[in-house]
Amino acid sequence: MSAVIENHEHDHHGPQKGILRWLFTTNHKDIGTLYLWFSFLMFLTGGAMAMGIRAELFEPGLQLMDPIRYNQLVTMHGLIMIFGAVMPAFVGLANWLIPMQIGAPDMALPRMNNLSFWLLPSAFIILLSTAFMEGGMPGFGWTFYAPLSTNYPNIAYFVFAVHIMGISSIMGSINVIVTIMNMRAPGMTLMQMPLFVWSWLITAYLLIAVMPVLAGAVTMLLMDAYFGTSFFDAAGGGDPVLFQHVFWFFGHPEVYIMILPAFGITSHIISTFSRKPLFGHSSMVYAMVSIAVLSFVVWAHHMFTVGMPLAAELFFMWATMIIAIPTGVKVFNWVATIFKGSITYETPMLFAIAFVVLFTIGGLSGLMLAITPADFQYHDTYFVVAHFHYVLVPGAIFSIMAAVYYWLPKWTGNMYDEKMGKLHFWLSFIGVNVTFFPQHFVGLAGMPRRYADYALQFAEWNAVSSIGAFLFGLSQLLFLYIVIKAVFAGKKATAQVWDGAEGLEWTVDSPAPYHTFETPPKVNG
Amino acid sequence: MAKNNFSSKIFLNLVSAVIFMFFFSFMLVPLYNVFCEVTGLNGKIYGPSSFFVKDDVEKKDSREIRIKFLSQVNESAPVNFFPSSNEVRVWTDKVSKTSYIAENTTDKQLTLTIIPSVSPGLAAENVKKIQCFCFEEQTLKPYERQEWPVRFYVSSEVGDNVNDIYLSYTLFETDRVLTDNMNHGK
Repeated sequence: MSAVIENHEHDHHGPQKGILRWLFTTNHKDIGTLYLWFSFLMFLTGGAMAMGIRAELFEPGLQLMDPIRYNQLVTMHGLIMIFGAVMPAFVGLANWLIPMQIGAPDMALPRMNNLSFWLLPSAFIILLSTAFMEGGMPGFGWTFYAPLSTNYPNIAYFVFAVHIMGISSIMGSINVIVTIMNMRAPGMTLMQMPLFVWSWLITAYLLIAVMPVLAGAVTMLLMDAYFGTSFFDAAGGGDPVLFQHVFWFFGHPEVYIMILPAFGITSHIISTFSRKPLFGHSSMVYAMVSIAVLSFVVWAHHMFTVGMPLAAELFFMWATMIIAIPTGVKVFNWVATIFKGSITYETPMLFAIAFVVLFTIGGLSGLMLAITPADFQYHDTYFVVAHFHYVLVPGAIFSIMAAVYYWLPKWTGNMYDEKMGKLHFWLSFIGVNVTFFPQHFVGLAGMPRRYADYALQFAEWNAVSSIGAFLFGLSQLLFLYIVIKAVFAGKKATAQVWDGAEGLEWTVDSPAPYHTFETPPKVNG
Repeated sequence: MAKNNFSSKIFLNLVSAVIFMFFFSFMLVPLYNVFCEVTGLNGKIYGPSSFFVKDDVEKKDSREIRIKFLSQVNESAPVNFFPSSNEVRVWTDKVSKTSYIAENTTDKQLTLTIIPSVSPGLAAENVKKIQCFCFEEQTLKPYERQEWPVRFYVSSEVGDNVNDIYLSYTLFETDRVLTDNMNHGK
């Protein structure tokens, strides 16, 4: 009964007017938009902190801030970029695209969807409010190694913020899985699902498996700090190395959570602009599943230097190296898709190609780090910083930008400014490489992470790195301008938008109507 | 939108997976301890070992091993705590004796727990303690200074590549005041 009545209402109402539309919305497109804008805001916040870090590191010595402030900026930069920028951006894309790509009218649990978004701003308000408190922001690094972190002031704010972010991610993932499992258009088998949907299905399972472990880790931290337990305090019979095991048991799947959706996005874009179907759809799926499964058995490669026995070091070294195989399958798959295609280089394609090239560089430095004996030299140097920024900035973030350019005409109904888009790409591409490539050099030369100051011999490359960072940071304002411009004006987009694009989302009008696929489309195997 | 049955089933499965994983993270603590106890990997010492246990393992020749003593005080404990000698040379299977000194620097009575650790971790099971202040809680009256004896031997089953063993004790106050803990670090 109620279903009938609600359906009747849905036929007539559009979005509510004013701010209440955004507060109470249960529409997947509205929530996707909220997620994307929130993540962009956090991207700028975390980016501003990165600018502070690079300004301090521009020359040796302490110029702008004391080491405590510096550590706080590094910590908050990491937390904000991971939990505030990259993850919400992918959830936003999932909200916009998954229902449209599988021919569903909305997400399966729309009210929970609303809640999982609105928890996020509260979490970050709690986390950022520590900036205005005595004791200041957390400064123990985003990895919050105990017992260092348990001795910090304001740790309870950090713990509760992480709890809330975790709840938000878990609810988002449950929503994604339930939607994909139950609401696919009739005739669409699992194997026929678009790769972005596949990548998110796997990501959602990873999130459900590891976010509760993160919640457990921070709960133990809270108990150590305030309730007299000693999970991680050696003095009370606990074990600090145990913390690292628990943390990285969450942490390694977490880094794949931040890259798997990027694989899906890149597959769509490369296929569209090469005007060829993807070289191997099911091999991509199997590769992603293997990466996800392997991510649970490699965590200790983050902690080779804690004094593990040789057998464990070897196991984690080999397990880590095996991941290169499915990753290689993906990279060759993209290359084979481009091969002999009719390629055009619109902005999304430029970002996608840069993703493949630069992510591969980051992946290769990851393989170098996986070699146990070599890791003792690289551990906690800027080589590690260069490695994970190569997989996260031109990896995850470039793929998000590619996705925004690619689907923006579908969302807004207007084409973005192609010239400006290309300018944004080249500035970002040059900026990223100038920032992070030199960090390989200083890292191999022995410059350690997490210090506000460094030895004179590293001065030149750090100055270069800072200039690159300012270039990259400033060019993101251009991105903001391009997106805002496309929201309000621009050449009208057709429903198809890109002539090589395939998928259900291109069968609806541009901009996508507020409600799509209220009658499911037919999909033929 | 009507919810269909299989939708809520998968939803409930996922929620239970979340709850399971949350408690699984706590289960990692005992699992880790058992794992370390069985494999002897992290240098922890579990309870006293008896000198008189007869084992069938053939004893190797006695050889000399250098033992270094370390001490650490948890930052919240107002105690001076140090070994009476920093280093001794012992013969395997021969019982040796040393001691640690602890001094209360406050006008309050303190209850203390001391946690031992052995490095390299794989030699931990070969360091047998017969008498140790770490077996039970210790109390220090205001400004009291005590000498705590340790009697131990190193079993000759210790690996041939082990010539130096570090024996470390970390002392902490058993009933730390919670508010103290909340405020320190500022």
